[in-house]
Amino acid sequence: MSEYIVEMRNITKRFPGIVANDDVTIQIKKGEVYALLGENGAGKSTLMSMLFGMYEPDVGEIYVRGNREIISSPSYATSLYIGMVHQHFKLVSNYTIAENIIMGIEPMKRFLGLLPYVDIKSANEEIARLSSEYGLEVDPTKRICDVPVSVQQRVEILKMLYRDADILIFDEPTAVLTPQEIEFLLKIIEGLKKAGKTVILITHKLEEIKKVADRCAILNRGKVIDVMDVRNTSTAEMASKMVGREISSERKKAGARYGEEVLVVQHLTVKDDNGFDIVKNVSLCVRQGEIVAVAGVAGNGQVELADAIAGFKKVSSGKIVLNGKEIANKTIRGRIQSGISYIPEDRQSYGLVLDFSLAENLVLKKYNQEPYARKGIRNQQEVELFSERLQKNYDIRSARGNQTIVRSMSGGNQQKAIIAREVEQDSSLIIFVQPTRGLDVGAIHNIHNQILAERDKGKAILLVSLELDEVMALADTIAVMYNGQILTCEDATSLSIDEVGQYMMGVVNI
Amino acid sequence: MKWVKQYEETIIPVIALLLSLTVAGIVIALLGNNPFAVFANLLRGSGILPKLRYAGGKSMLTDLCSFLNYWTPMIFAALGVAVALKAGLFNIAISGQMLVAGFTSSVIVGYSSIQSVIAKPLVLLISIVAGGAVGALIGWLKYRFNINEVVSSIMLNYILQYIVAFFISMYYVDPISRQSRAVSDESRLTLANVEFGGYRYDIPLGMIVALFAIAGVQFVCKKTTLGYELGAVGLNRKAARYAGINVGRTMLLAMFISGALAGLAGATYYLGYFASIQPKVLAAMGYDSIAVALLGNSNPIGILFASFLISVIGKGSTYMSSTSGLDAELSSVIISLILLFSACKVYIRHSINKATDKRKARVEK
Repeated sequence: MSEYIVEMRNITKRFPGIVANDDVTIQIKKGEVYALLGENGAGKSTLMSMLFGMYEPDVGEIYVRGNREIISSPSYATSLYIGMVHQHFKLVSNYTIAENIIMGIEPMKRFLGLLPYVDIKSANEEIARLSSEYGLEVDPTKRICDVPVSVQQRVEILKMLYRDADILIFDEPTAVLTPQEIEFLLKIIEGLKKAGKTVILITHKLEEIKKVADRCAILNRGKVIDVMDVRNTSTAEMASKMVGREISSERKKAGARYGEEVLVVQHLTVKDDNGFDIVKNVSLCVRQGEIVAVAGVAGNGQVELADAIAGFKKVSSGKIVLNGKEIANKTIRGRIQSGISYIPEDRQSYGLVLDFSLAENLVLKKYNQEPYARKGIRNQQEVELFSERLQKNYDIRSARGNQTIVRSMSGGNQQKAIIAREVEQDSSLIIFVQPTRGLDVGAIHNIHNQILAERDKGKAILLVSLELDEVMALADTIAVMYNGQILTCEDATSLSIDEVGQYMMGVVNI
Repeated sequence: MKWVKQYEETIIPVIALLLSLTVAGIVIALLGNNPFAVFANLLRGSGILPKLRYAGGKSMLTDLCSFLNYWTPMIFAALGVAVALKAGLFNIAISGQMLVAGFTSSVIVGYSSIQSVIAKPLVLLISIVAGGAVGALIGWLKYRFNINEVVSSIMLNYILQYIVAFFISMYYVDPISRQSRAVSDESRLTLANVEFGGYRYDIPLGMIVALFAIAGVQFVCKKTTLGYELGAVGLNRKAARYAGINVGRTMLLAMFISGALAGLAGATYYLGYFASIQPKVLAAMGYDSIAVALLGNSNPIGILFASFLISVIGKGSTYMSSTSGLDAELSSVIISLILLFSACKVYIRHSINKATDKRKARVEK
């Protein structure tokens, strides 16, 4: 029996135009927390997808518990006691937690020894037992649609445990969680380790690795750069290895010089799809050269506020004034033309037409304007020149330049394309919603610099972010939203990170 | 193998076609006939290969002209399907739109004594408006009430079929043929029985319009902002809205254009290839056109080839039936096979990718 529970030797996996994994070898010991660290597109998820049987490697061998295995499907991986929590959960939302967990391996009983039925009672008991054993705090009888995202994630963990998995893969588990929930999850992972499970953690958040991981493999452009003992390595060291260069975490931010008021929101109320007020009587002002960051825990109305300003959501009452003009009744295009750029939270379903080429996506908001079109006839040549210029200036990398289908590009480059397009609009107001979600340290760094550069050019910037670090690093003014209301709106220098955190939890009297 | 990737869009339909013809060939062989002879008879029936004998006043060119008359509405109908598909909509009401367009232009122009120079353009115009109106209605229902266009299309097909049948039976019926009365020669888009060099021909004027329509649709899709909007709405409605495109208006417009093209199909079918309307029957061409658009990859040039092929099989069926002694319905079987295999596009692409990947891996080794 070999010392390692999982060994992936000389794995190579190609996709059209890219090598996702290039001769990667990793060896994971039983009972350790093993982290895979790397930028977006470094090949972490691909590598684990092969271990979980979603892809097969082009070259290379996988050994599990010392045996050579050809893992051809997730169900085969499950039979090897490998489990995976995906970034996007795979749950049936109107089933109960227990029903989701037992799906496919339902415990059966026979009524009067004849009619088979699902023994949900014993399943509930078994799940409740597992839940308390690992401190997951999950009620198996609740329905998925009634529980928050963090609980859904724990349901996914239970799904693996219920199937007796002892090799647990987590793909970016903290991307969707609040700081408190992250703490809780890390505790769970520690508990799993104590119970003798092997945990593989895909992440690009260094603090998490520092807290829970034993060893960490760093991937860059599909190759393993280094495998480190986490205890003896500093986060700065890991960060520089990960991006392949030194990163200064201290950013020089020039003093803000505010100009005129660009965006004034007065007593804005917005209803959600069910008719409830999701934004309640919000007033806000963004000036030239100012970054106003709206902080808050997910789902407190920040995104709806941004959507209402950009015209995606109807305003039920209140005023939105841009450069002195009321815009609350304008169409989306009217608002784009009056000077609003918008980087949406969900870049793949709102920001891009994934099956269009890169050039067509870069011209998405200008396709009908001169010189890209005249009297309804498009000028392909101008579009391509424009697209090439943007790719060069904003370092957008792709396999086939203008002709690249955006779906095939990495997340970081997709976001670069959106930001390039929106910044090139030369709007007086730029709204960034979660601009760095799911991106790696290097890309985040670049995007932050871009946001600051736009501010220094005199643009008014509204930043909606769930990342407290991002808010603290960039904001000139911080507005904290809780339950649809702005609890405080103050100069960033007068608020500490703890104070902002408390406002986010709805604690008003500090 | 790079070229495979490059011409994938062309190669896949060709593979689908070869597969379906192979299966059709097997079916024919099982029926005890020589598949090649059957295919040749289909071509002969469409005036592409010479027949052994011709009746008086007829030649291969006569058959070819007749074939062109049959082919023309198919082009329009398939273009109609393609334009709607471009915007992510499925227009199944092509038959209904053809019928309404054919009926209104028959009533307004066909049964009047308007001169040929005015009558023919007027027929085209009325068909565009009538077909477009039905299309726009479906688009409006989708836009205003979010009614699935497939459902409303299917239901409208029935409604229109029976309304038109009612009016034909009540007011416009020919007591002998039990069809609508024949329209005037002035209004017909086909010049019937033109004598030339001892032979008679049906000159298909609509074909010229159809070629312009192919070029027009190609131009709109590739070169105009409207084409860009249709594509954006078809591929990602949310992103189109984000870009400031009025999604509802674009879908309505797509359905209008789709319906207008179907209307032209109706004009060239009921006032071209035929001169009358058979009540209570929807043209099968309206459904075949969906197969044509899929086979042609929703691309106007692809549709030109695909509609040619399907029309040959449809048009040649009568002659094939009489010479090979097989049922004319065999062509429906062949067309269905083509549709079936062209629906397997994604699978064929997957197989090609797998084959090229393997080859690449072997070459690298």
